[in-house]
Amino acid sequence: MADNEKEKKAQKQEKPRFTTVDAAILDLCNNVEIPEITCWDRTKKQSPRCSFGEKGICCRICSMGPCRVDESREKLKYGVCGVDSNTVAARNFIRMIAGGAAAHSDHARAGAETFLAAAKGEAPGYAIKDEQKLLQLAMDFDVSVGDRSVQDIAIEVGEKGMGIFGEQFGPIPLTKRAPLKRQKLWAEQGMLPRGVDREIVEIMHRTHIGVDMDPVNLMQQGSRAAIADGWGGSMLATELQDIMFGTPVPILGRSNLGVLEKEQVNIVIHGHEPSLSEMIVAVVQDPEMIERAKQKGAQGINLAGICCTANEILMRHGVPLAGNFLQQEMAIITGAVDAMVVDVQCLMGSLPRVAECFHTKVITTNYRAKIPGATHIQFEEHDAVETAKKIVRAAIDNFPNRKEVYIPDVECDLIGGFSHETINYLLGGMFRASYKPLNDNIINGRILGVAGVVGCNNVKCEHDAGHIDLVKELIANNVLVLQTGCSAVACAKAGLMLPEAAAKYAGPGLAEVCETVGIPPVLHMGSCVDNSRILMAATAMVKQGGLGDDISGLPVAGAAPEWMSEKAISIGHYFVASGVYTVFGTTWPTTGASELTDLLFNGYEEITGGKWDFALESNVQAQKMIDHIKKKREALGIEKARKRILYDMAMRRELDAG
Amino acid sequence: MVDEKKVKKESWTGEDVEVLGETYAEGKPDTPVLWRKKFKNREEMLKYLKSGERYWFSDDWYGSEKRKTPA
Repeated sequence: MADNEKEKKAQKQEKPRFTTVDAAILDLCNNVEIPEITCWDRTKKQSPRCSFGEKGICCRICSMGPCRVDESREKLKYGVCGVDSNTVAARNFIRMIAGGAAAHSDHARAGAETFLAAAKGEAPGYAIKDEQKLLQLAMDFDVSVGDRSVQDIAIEVGEKGMGIFGEQFGPIPLTKRAPLKRQKLWAEQGMLPRGVDREIVEIMHRTHIGVDMDPVNLMQQGSRAAIADGWGGSMLATELQDIMFGTPVPILGRSNLGVLEKEQVNIVIHGHEPSLSEMIVAVVQDPEMIERAKQKGAQGINLAGICCTANEILMRHGVPLAGNFLQQEMAIITGAVDAMVVDVQCLMGSLPRVAECFHTKVITTNYRAKIPGATHIQFEEHDAVETAKKIVRAAIDNFPNRKEVYIPDVECDLIGGFSHETINYLLGGMFRASYKPLNDNIINGRILGVAGVVGCNNVKCEHDAGHIDLVKELIANNVLVLQTGCSAVACAKAGLMLPEAAAKYAGPGLAEVCETVGIPPVLHMGSCVDNSRILMAATAMVKQGGLGDDISGLPVAGAAPEWMSEKAISIGHYFVASGVYTVFGTTWPTTGASELTDLLFNGYEEITGGKWDFALESNVQAQKMIDHIKKKREALGIEKARKRILYDMAMRRELDAG
Repeated sequence: MVDEKKVKKESWTGEDVEVLGETYAEGKPDTPVLWRKKFKNREEMLKYLKSGERYWFSDDWYGSEKRKTPA
């Protein structure tokens, strides 16, 4: 064996068990004997991975396969049915889009059902909290307002909202929020989505054996479905949730495992849909529940969250974030979680097995997401308060079963709640709400551009490091960062979501703007469906003027450094289809298909003005994003910061003479 | 109270001047910034849609899209 190979092997062996920069996890593993039950242990056991699967060139669509298609090996150039690697990878890629779009949109559908039931008075406990936002959506759906009652308007809005899923002809009404030029481009490219379900079904049809084999044509349908997600399902979920639970406004929160309380009943809510968790937030404050907790020996009830359900209730109630995706098992390992209440998406199948080693009760609540070994308490929106009480009681009653508890003393404050409406308000105030100050400061060079850094955690890379390093690099270069999802949780834990982070980490121009407005340099915009808020912020920047007439002309870029889910691919692709340069890290699912990869990384810029890119290292990702932002600044003619010149009379006369 | 910091900057006349630097008082609001509660009635809500959210809801096309025909 060559020396360097030995060295590599030795390095691999020395790799720590938990590859993370999260101080709470590191503290936990130094103080608790953790059985080999975590995702870090399982990822080692799963290695090495199937290289065909990793490169996107394994096809198992029909039973003549699975086929491993490899363009670099003559005998493996075609699958049994005759398609090459580009077709296989394109089919796999848009099936990922279909999966992601389905997840976001089914979330929206569930929200719409609850919304409609609430509007009809059939869901006690739910109400229309933000009437102004209801009127906004009513206008989008051409629902007349006049003197009609809130209930009347809400019923019609709810019905129209439900309609976007089964619509056959389209376009989805919310696509009309996009810049005019973008809408025209989508229409010309055949990318305007008809109905959410139709686009997803069409992907499943086209990728069936023997249907669509042209990667360009496949990607066109992938784009249409992704747009149906971003400007349809995800956007509708955000809007309806804001109307029912309140549009987020700046609010103080806390983050990381240190938010768990040793002397209190800890309930951790995890998943993505906020309907149940909103009720739990109310129920844990019920004196009857607090009294019950005291009777069981606890001092009270502490509610915290993991993943995007956490982001939802942080944004609206300031409920603390216990952690992101890779911390769900770790929260249980503290021994302090009396119940982990899960809804849908990003749940690990291991939760009940991990819980068995401690005392946590894992409670599934959605008929669409059951886990073997967990207790199921079905959430009924028509009886939401009672469901929430049943869950909270189960958690309280489990408190006396605790064994050893170790809660890392690690937590960090953050400010959340930056909806695009709130940014508009903060930049201009009630009477002159505006994105003009942002555009002006981009034009004058104080702010270089804007980046959306979003997405998951992935156990294949160092947990949180990808998010934190990238975001620090961006803000140091005067790029304002907008965040959602687990990426936002990572940066919250690192202290980047506090106003004083501007002085510590941001470049001088960005710091100056943050100080003036009183915002952090990294803005938490919510959960993963709330990436639609980033689309709206970008659209406001376009419509404000001065930075071109389309999203593709803006000095902006997107990234998901630690992505892992199909939802991330759908999100990434709706940003690309909306004109945004988007960089992913960790791994890329089409590397075995050179023509398709070239289409996504280069060709798509010709089609939508946005494109994909991939880089492993954070500094390379940052540099690529900054280079792109500078390229756009150059195209806009604002590449150099311009000094303000005060004209004297002589200079004015010279101008007049000219 | 946060310590005051002074920084040197160039004034509009080109002279070097010393001004108060950034303060970054810890941004930890005790209560949420409930700006959306300021709307008193539907009229105000609709008015704000046309002014504050004018990018989408003004009667006229706005900013970069002014004078353009709909797509």
